[in-house]
Amino acid sequence: MDMKSLYLLVPLAPLAGAMIAGLFCRIIPRWVAHTATIAGVAIAFFASFLIFKDVMAGNTYNGPVYQWLTSGDYRFEVGFLIDQLTVTMMLVVTSVSLMVHIYTIGYMKEDPGYNRFFSYISLFTFSMLILVMSNNFMQLFFGWEAVGLVSYLLIGFWYTRPTAIFANMKAFLVNRVGDFGFILGIGLVLAHFGTLDYAAVFAKAPSLADVTISLFADREWATVSLMSITCILLFIGAMGKSAQVPLHVWLPDSMEGPTPISALIHAATMVTAGIFMVARMSPLFELSDAALTFVIVIGSITALFMGFLGIIQNDIKRVVAYSTLSQLGYMTVALGASAYSVAIFHLMTHAFFKALLFLGAGSVIIGMHHDQDIRNMGGLRKYMPITWITSLIGSLALIGTPFFAGFYSKDSIIEAVALSTIPGAGFAYFAVLAGVFVTAFYSFRMYFLVFHGEERFGKAHDAHGHDAHEGDHDDEEVAHDHHHGLAPGQKPHETPWVVTLPLVLLAIPSVIIGFIGIEPMLFGDYFKGVIHINAEAHPAMSELAHHFHGAVAMATHALTTAPFWLALSGVALSWFFYLKRPDIPAAIKARVEPIYTLLENKYYFDKFNEVVFAGGARLLGRGLWKGGDVGLIDGIVVNGSVRLVNWLASMIRFFQSGHIYHYAFTMIIGVFVLLTLWVSRV
Amino acid sequence: MTLAEMQFVIPDLRPASAELFMLAMACGILLVDLFVKDKKRTLTFVLTQLALLGAAVITFMTSTGEIAYTFSNMYVDDLLGDLLKLLTYLTVIVVLFYSRGYVLDRPQMAKGEYYTLTLFATLGMMVMISANHFLTVYLGLELLSLSLYALVALNRDSVQATEAAMKYFVLGALASGLLLYGMSMIYGATGTLEITAVAERLYQGQANKSILVFGLVFLVAGIAFKLGVVPFHMWIPDVYHGAPTAITLLIASAPKLAAFAIVMRMLVNGLVVLAADWQMMLIILSVLSMAIGNLAAIAQTNLKRMLAYSAISHMGFMLLGLVTGVIGGDARFALNAYSSSMFYVITYVLTSAGTFGMILLLARAGFESDLLDDFKGLNKRSPWFAAMMMMMMFSMAGVPFFVGFFAKFSVLQAVVAAGYLWLAIAAVIFSLIGAFYYLRVVKLMYFDQPNDPSPIHAPFDVKLLMSANGLAVALLGIFPQALMSICAVALLRSL
Amino acid sequence: MEFKTFVFYFFAAIMVFAALRVITARNPVQAALFLVLTFVSASGIWMLLQAEFLAIALVLVYVGAVMVLFLFVVMMLDINLDRVREGFWSYLPLGAIVALLMVAEMGLVLGGNYFDLFENKVPQAAADATNVMSVARLMYTDYVYPVELASVILLVGIVAAVVLTMRDRRKTKAVDPATQVIVKAKDRMRVLQMPSEKQG
Repeated sequence: MDMKSLYLLVPLAPLAGAMIAGLFCRIIPRWVAHTATIAGVAIAFFASFLIFKDVMAGNTYNGPVYQWLTSGDYRFEVGFLIDQLTVTMMLVVTSVSLMVHIYTIGYMKEDPGYNRFFSYISLFTFSMLILVMSNNFMQLFFGWEAVGLVSYLLIGFWYTRPTAIFANMKAFLVNRVGDFGFILGIGLVLAHFGTLDYAAVFAKAPSLADVTISLFADREWATVSLMSITCILLFIGAMGKSAQVPLHVWLPDSMEGPTPISALIHAATMVTAGIFMVARMSPLFELSDAALTFVIVIGSITALFMGFLGIIQNDIKRVVAYSTLSQLGYMTVALGASAYSVAIFHLMTHAFFKALLFLGAGSVIIGMHHDQDIRNMGGLRKYMPITWITSLIGSLALIGTPFFAGFYSKDSIIEAVALSTIPGAGFAYFAVLAGVFVTAFYSFRMYFLVFHGEERFGKAHDAHGHDAHEGDHDDEEVAHDHHHGLAPGQKPHETPWVVTLPLVLLAIPSVIIGFIGIEPMLFGDYFKGVIHINAEAHPAMSELAHHFHGAVAMATHALTTAPFWLALSGVALSWFFYLKRPDIPAAIKARVEPIYTLLENKYYFDKFNEVVFAGGARLLGRGLWKGGDVGLIDGIVVNGSVRLVNWLASMIRFFQSGHIYHYAFTMIIGVFVLLTLWVSRV
Repeated sequence: MTLAEMQFVIPDLRPASAELFMLAMACGILLVDLFVKDKKRTLTFVLTQLALLGAAVITFMTSTGEIAYTFSNMYVDDLLGDLLKLLTYLTVIVVLFYSRGYVLDRPQMAKGEYYTLTLFATLGMMVMISANHFLTVYLGLELLSLSLYALVALNRDSVQATEAAMKYFVLGALASGLLLYGMSMIYGATGTLEITAVAERLYQGQANKSILVFGLVFLVAGIAFKLGVVPFHMWIPDVYHGAPTAITLLIASAPKLAAFAIVMRMLVNGLVVLAADWQMMLIILSVLSMAIGNLAAIAQTNLKRMLAYSAISHMGFMLLGLVTGVIGGDARFALNAYSSSMFYVITYVLTSAGTFGMILLLARAGFESDLLDDFKGLNKRSPWFAAMMMMMMFSMAGVPFFVGFFAKFSVLQAVVAAGYLWLAIAAVIFSLIGAFYYLRVVKLMYFDQPNDPSPIHAPFDVKLLMSANGLAVALLGIFPQALMSICAVALLRSL
Repeated sequence: MEFKTFVFYFFAAIMVFAALRVITARNPVQAALFLVLTFVSASGIWMLLQAEFLAIALVLVYVGAVMVLFLFVVMMLDINLDRVREGFWSYLPLGAIVALLMVAEMGLVLGGNYFDLFENKVPQAAADATNVMSVARLMYTDYVYPVELASVILLVGIVAAVVLTMRDRRKTKAVDPATQVIVKAKDRMRVLQMPSEKQG
């Protein structure tokens, strides 16, 4: 098999699985659905691995596989760009997806939509692979929208639950805002570069670096740099997909979907599409300091402030969701600091340990019989040993414990930001540093509450009713109709092997991938020719390389730096608060009520959106309906145009009289008019 | 030149072997049918299909891709012609399959002549497609038209059909007169009727411009009648409506390919020097057609009549591609423009065949099923056919990812490339108006209650063909590139 | 003015007049006869162009065959043309205006010195060739394709005429002599047994 068919096999194998499971979902038994989809994803994974070896041997590829449409000067193609960046993403996507597929067998065991679910996640894998393997903006946009669509379908997977419908609607609408920016950016690229092909666009980019365009009617005051506005628009797309402030509001709500997709889509892969896209566009972003500043500021706000929200959440999945938001902020900060390879590196390590944490959380949820409230847990380590160990590994990786995967990527980000000279880097450095402490605190708060301490399940169940309702009311309806929880006296139990196996398999890379990956990926030639950095203007990466003396040295050196001690103090504080003196948090909560309320309401982002955007839209809609629709459209346009069309039609009918001589006369008049026009011309 | 000096070489018959075969088969079937006792004329039907199939095989086998002239340069065989002929055979074959049940239900039509006249009409189209001489264009056109007049009137007892045939005949005769008059003017100006020779003389600049343009007006009028564009469209609604649906299907499908061919032959091959003039004329006709076709279609309650107006608007849209070939003497965009037009007409024929085929499929003895209301609730009666019909309607309306969308898109793209932005905007606006009545059909099928809830029975072959037709509309929308490049190659090797 | 030119204008004038009368004459038989006159003058003009064969063919075919048939039909059907022409006069003004305008335009384009063009290009007949021979030669050599096509069109015309006019055989009164001969007495008559109707 030649390489080109191997490339094709990677996205098509999951697609075939999705089609088998989807088209025949009513008639095939469950084992066929999961075997077909798992086989498809496994094939994709092994093919990706072969491609990875091939790329390592120096064989990259950029070319079309299918020409969809040629129309005049525009060509729309399906094409693949296979290089180190692509192959990294392919491996991450297929391996996490494979784990999630296996895990789903156990998690969805009792769900009637079993086959449908497998079909969706395989379809998602296909879409995501199309997105990362694309060599042009058109296909990128296709993949972008396709993953959005599947995400929409999966958030609303339990479509009988009103909260799920609300959440997927929210995700859909917020993503439209981002996509609007994204498609405007693509439109600008097409208009000014004349092509949608990556290679051609990148080749042409430097010559357009100083071009300015006017946003409004060629006025002087509206003039902006073409490159900046293009990059910012593209990044707005990334903000929607990768949930950056203020377009992050959909991600916590997306936890309404089943846990496997929270792990696959809303933690490991889809939400990182924005990060991937910016890294892919590095030749464009490097040409605009304004865009990079925008990126780093948005990223650092997300990294810090979303972390705070993680502290007060009580739903196990929402804690992990806010931690995802915060980590996505870290990646964005790295992008803004021109440390694209570090961002991708963190993306990769994060994909593994965050998928692990989510699947661990899912395992806990199964063990607790679908109770998601961490206040009802505690002491689970006795009952669920594998879940406990793997979750501990995931948490340690997340907070950046030396030698664990997260440590290498996160520390590199912090270092890179420290060395960055871009405006806004100072604030970003503070944010990421503070974020380390916050991350450690909320991660271990969750860890201690779930796995250690007093066993609160069973007996705490009654309290659950009124206590959990301080949060937003979306949670509660869920609590009533889905979270059954354990009956009094019932004990949690360890989950079956299909659930724990992926946990173990994901725990391995969560530990080692940073150690083995950092040297080649960040400081070797791995991304050479793929990611472009203007080293003179943005020296962070090259400076970072000077400071690097090997993975072991980095870890030992870390023991003397601030991040390590911040993380350690975060862990210690959470131990003190939640295991040693559980009364203190309540006391603090009572003292700083306003701050707590602020966090409880998620900085009022949702409230703001609801009042300003939703309310405004409703107001506008009502106005348009009353004034525009009833008055103008119904009154004048519809009725008027109906009258006009009727009049025209009756005129045409009048001429279409049925009499031959009328018809013949019309023809003669036609000839006569043409003749008159042309005889007078000649 | 004395008679003794006159040299004559027996013409090379190979390029025209498909026409010869078709003629022989048509005459043969005419005779064989005399001895067929069977009321269903199964043998005649089979032989007719075999004749079409045989012609297709011959056309395919003898296609060399080179341009070959024969019969004293009156006949031309090229890739464009071969492609259009193959599509014509295919269309007629499909048309005959679709019509079979309808024809059997109506004893007046179930005669052998239905098949032979169809074959003669096909022969007429083949002659038109391969014409390299104004005389041959005219004769082919007459052969086609005469057969169609007779076919429309075939159902003698129907007053509607007879009236339609009469109108078609009289107006067709008038149009032929206009066409012939135009040809005679061109002969007067250039001294020849051979299309390639006309082009040569025009290049040399020997001809008198005003006589040429004068003739051109009549020529365009004649072609416009055949295409059915405003103001030479008046016959279309009455004939489409009045004719038996099986014949409407024939009129509405394959002859459009032949009409496209004679436009290419006469205007593009022969009179390209006058492009600025005929393009301007066609722009006027095109805008009028899109306006009147789309507006009038909205007011119709009869599906056949609605589709007739839709045909007018579609032909107007198709002309847009033809008017953007040569801009200010620059023929750079010609290939793109003409191939987009060709793509348009091919996909229109495909969709139109399916739509009329659906009316035929729903019709029974004594029930025409040609009212819009007859399609109410089709989804409840047969979800599959409703889905097929919906795809056809979407394609005609130009909904993205159906083939009609790409046809419209590529024509518009050619129009914009030629700099006629206003024309493109007008075309889009009229298409949007047009989308209304196509979508109304979809609404009727899916959201209304059927008048007659009986399920639909169709023979297996028709079911299969209808599915293939519907899926082709969808698949060509996803993979339009192959057909598009075939059109481009055929034009490139033939112009 | 040359004599030939005079003859041309003479025939042309008759032709235009006769053509006008064809559409204005009240009596259909008269109209048909005027059409004959139009054909005859046209053939006179062809004579002037030395196209004897065409001229004679026109008279033979159109005047001798087509028009005679036409006259028969008109006489036999006894169409009341006045009723057919209702509305003729109301449409005439508009029609006449358009017609006049078109004639004027045609005159504008085709009038004046453009006519030279045609005369120069008319090929001179060969000395040793008769008109019939040249036409025949061309028809069966260079123009064989159109001639064949024309014959196919005629064939279609015949087929169409037959199929559109021929009624089913069932309705014809003709009897097959063969069946007449082999018929037997008992086939001709059938005796029906009927119960007698009782009175009262």
